[in-house]
Amino acid sequence: MKRSPLLAAAHYAMLVGLAVLCIAPIAVIFATSLRQQVDIFAEPLNFIFTPTLENYRAVLQEDKFDRYLYNSLFVGLISTAATLVLGCMAAYGLARFRFPGRRTLAYTTLLLRTVPLAVMAIPVFLIWNEWHLVNSLWGLILLYVAVNLPFTIWLLYGFVLQVPVELEEAAAIDGCGPLRVFTKVLLPLMAPGLAAASIFTFRIAWNEFILALVLTDRHSRTLPVAASLFVTDMGVDWGRVMAMGSLIAIPPLIFTFVAARQIITGLTAGAVKG
Amino acid sequence: MRTPSWVPILYVGPAAAIMAAACLYPVISALQLGLYDWSMGTPWSAARWVGLDAFAAAFSNPRVWSSLWTTLLFAGVCVTAEMLLGIALALALERPVRGTAVFRTLFILPMMIAPIAVGLAWRYMFDAQFGLINAVLGLLRIAPMTWLADPTLAFAAIVIADVWQWTPFVFIMMVAALANVDSAVIEASRIDGANWWQMTTLVKLPMIAHVIAITLMMRLVDAFRVLEVIYVLTFGGPGDSTEILALHIYKTAFVGQQLGVAAAISVLLLVVVAALSWIALRISNPLDNEK
Amino acid sequence: MKRRDFVTKTSATVFGASLPLSGIRAQNRYSRYAGQTVTFSVPAHPHYDAMMKILPDFTRETGIKVETDRLAMGRMKEKQLLEMAKPQGDYDLGCYVVMWKGEYVAKNLIRPLDPFLQNPALADPAYDIKDIIPVYLENLGLVGGPKGYLAGPGARLYGLPYGAETSVLAYRKDIFARHGLKVPENYAEFAQLLRVIKDKEGIGALASRGQAGHQAVHAWLLHLNPLGGSVFDDEWRVRFNDKAGVQALKFLQEVVATGPAGIAGYGQGESNTAFLQGQAAMYLDSTSLAGLVNDPAKSRIVGKVSWALHPMGTRRASQSGGLGLAIARNAKNADAGFLLMQWLTSKAQDKAVTRAGGAPTRNSTLADTDLVRQYPEFITFKEALKYSNPDWRPIIAVWDKINVQALGVGISEALTGKKTAEAALNDLVAPVTQIMREAGYKV
Repeated sequence: MKRSPLLAAAHYAMLVGLAVLCIAPIAVIFATSLRQQVDIFAEPLNFIFTPTLENYRAVLQEDKFDRYLYNSLFVGLISTAATLVLGCMAAYGLARFRFPGRRTLAYTTLLLRTVPLAVMAIPVFLIWNEWHLVNSLWGLILLYVAVNLPFTIWLLYGFVLQVPVELEEAAAIDGCGPLRVFTKVLLPLMAPGLAAASIFTFRIAWNEFILALVLTDRHSRTLPVAASLFVTDMGVDWGRVMAMGSLIAIPPLIFTFVAARQIITGLTAGAVKG
Repeated sequence: MRTPSWVPILYVGPAAAIMAAACLYPVISALQLGLYDWSMGTPWSAARWVGLDAFAAAFSNPRVWSSLWTTLLFAGVCVTAEMLLGIALALALERPVRGTAVFRTLFILPMMIAPIAVGLAWRYMFDAQFGLINAVLGLLRIAPMTWLADPTLAFAAIVIADVWQWTPFVFIMMVAALANVDSAVIEASRIDGANWWQMTTLVKLPMIAHVIAITLMMRLVDAFRVLEVIYVLTFGGPGDSTEILALHIYKTAFVGQQLGVAAAISVLLLVVVAALSWIALRISNPLDNEK
Repeated sequence: MKRRDFVTKTSATVFGASLPLSGIRAQNRYSRYAGQTVTFSVPAHPHYDAMMKILPDFTRETGIKVETDRLAMGRMKEKQLLEMAKPQGDYDLGCYVVMWKGEYVAKNLIRPLDPFLQNPALADPAYDIKDIIPVYLENLGLVGGPKGYLAGPGARLYGLPYGAETSVLAYRKDIFARHGLKVPENYAEFAQLLRVIKDKEGIGALASRGQAGHQAVHAWLLHLNPLGGSVFDDEWRVRFNDKAGVQALKFLQEVVATGPAGIAGYGQGESNTAFLQGQAAMYLDSTSLAGLVNDPAKSRIVGKVSWALHPMGTRRASQSGGLGLAIARNAKNADAGFLLMQWLTSKAQDKAVTRAGGAPTRNSTLADTDLVRQYPEFITFKEALKYSNPDWRPIIAVWDKINVQALGVGISEALTGKKTAEAALNDLVAPVTQIMREAGYKV
């Protein structure tokens, strides 16, 4: 059945409108970061202004941006790698084996995923102090891995289930040990799931603010916490904070543009198929 | 094939150990912490045992209940809006067009950006003097509204920020679900003479009811975890009109420096969230797929 | 005045003559600590931003390095509490808000300064502590005296003022000239003027804080004090819901009604911005604004501002408060930290930071001819300091809690119209009394 061109045009217009709405706040972040102090308090609808890189210069040169960047990258990459490895193994274990305590583990994992981070902030503050992990990057990594594992396990669980057991058995018969079965059969077939899981985990570790706020000092500070420092009782330093926000937004933006399909697959897997 | 019983432990063990130590243990500690009076700046060894006093004080504090109410209201309004908008948009726009991939990419952007950046962007846009929102309203000849200084408007502001960030997620889930609907059934209903409304409500929606339920529960649970956007946007103000429970806990602990009391309140939040998760589990138990 | 001039000039000559000698002594004072690093906790505040410009000079002169940790004020307190409670903490020197001094001393987190000031190996003989504005020194530094925070028997010095302030009225002389308005001397004139400016000029009358929490309470206290009210009576019972309290809150409600858009949510920053961007005709708040008014990057009203005393109610009572410096009890480099503190508050450096946009801490700075030329408002400030009320707010350990959990919420409710002034204040009596009782006061 052919569609009237009018309907098609309206359809398209709606999509464009929605896209604009989605981008608008992000565009505001970037645009404001390029505005001079004087322009920031001027007419907001004045899209024509003299751009300046002063805010970026200030953010990058003053304070210890390189240290914060290093901290964020370190925490992000390592916690992502650890979460992926442990999560993948656990998902496989849950999917393929039946062992006592399996149901308990599964339900506990599911429930842990829903715990609000604010609930964890206070006990973590105390416990990390006792274990001398506070103000250390490894302490933060440990926390992020623990907090991201539940979601990652369940995401990958769905993908493991989609790989037919027969393939693994065939490979085992061919003489592959369990490790080779894992790497040669499972991982390639789970690739989209792994991509999605790594993007989500990195996104959380990179963007996370509250727990990092509580657990870091000026040596271990991450980028989001550094950005929040521009919000003070004396007002918000809009130019600087938007510049910092833009820089923080860049990796997730890159991931989104490069791996949109994987992200959507990851989100919808399990829910839609199941 | 019979695998030795230690093999599963090898796979599952490390993850389970880390989750137990760094996730489960803190959660359970929150319960224990609530039994002490501990303020910031004093060592833990100086914390006083107060038993259930902190819990009693928390539960009899009207601000805790009003915060809980604000949280429930926030979750309810946001999730309803996001689901309705998401489903409606999915129904309207499910047909693929040229450039679908580009649109899809743009639609995921809101949920990928750091919540703190989102909060800052919206705070700037809602600014009464210099914000984009009031400027746009000005174009429509509407007087500038004091978004962040008025209790009702501030609440609207945090709802708008959350709806902006998560409606695309619902939209994507719904589109994927609708794409999975068996087109034969749709054709059959069209041949039977169903109009668009009947086809939607009586055929399509029921067929994706399961996904709707799952998405609804996911959003509901996540709505209770929101903190960073509101922290930056209003910090609970004006008054306490946007002080959701997670923020109230943070303020009690790190602004009011009452860590024991804050822990007691976080147990309350935990109970609410756990109840919701239990309901979610009943609706869709991933482990049911096996036998 | 003449005699002080004579004394100053004579001592200058004497010191000038002995400069080589004092130079050597200065070298000895610092040399033991050259190479050490002082970790300094600072807030995001215009005075400390100005300080950052002169800080490299300290390292150049003494060889002691300084690492600053710049945080927002609220975050700063939390980090300081954390660090200072450990057996050995990260901070040597910390900036604190006047309201925290009681709590910090009660929790034994900072060191008394007398041992340092009396230590001949550390103390600068040319320091002249009497030159520091007395009401600042008392307000920021003394703990343990009458009521716990005033000067008198039992008071010990725990901190030095740095970034202290009082309240003053700034107004747009161009707008006042345009409409032939008179600068308000008392609160009756002040109240009338609010409506007049809003109607005639169309912009906000008075820029003010209003945000729930500390900000709203601060704004209310600004008017409560001159109108003769106070939060507690002498026995620590609440009296803020009396006639003066209600009058002050009603005045603040009128300020919000005639103010720039969004005023009910303003923190100090937004209030500053509103005035500096020309959205309000008057500003009644901290003297620290002086450093921002003539900065073209921040202000659109350069050259259009005049200054006057805080208007009078039943009495003149301008704010006292601001920021000070203290040494952490568990500091690694306490001596070096003291040297930094002493250097920053010394005569020469006080002038330097004021030139850079900071707030003066010493009388000599306020009287310096070059600086008065740069900041003619110093003449008004000097006058205003005479009326600064050291008992402007109760600086007790639970004041923070009272602000955040009770007063700050209630006053904000009155400003957003949720409650009337009387109702808001009456409803606060119970929660505030409760907090006081829990803290051990017999009320």
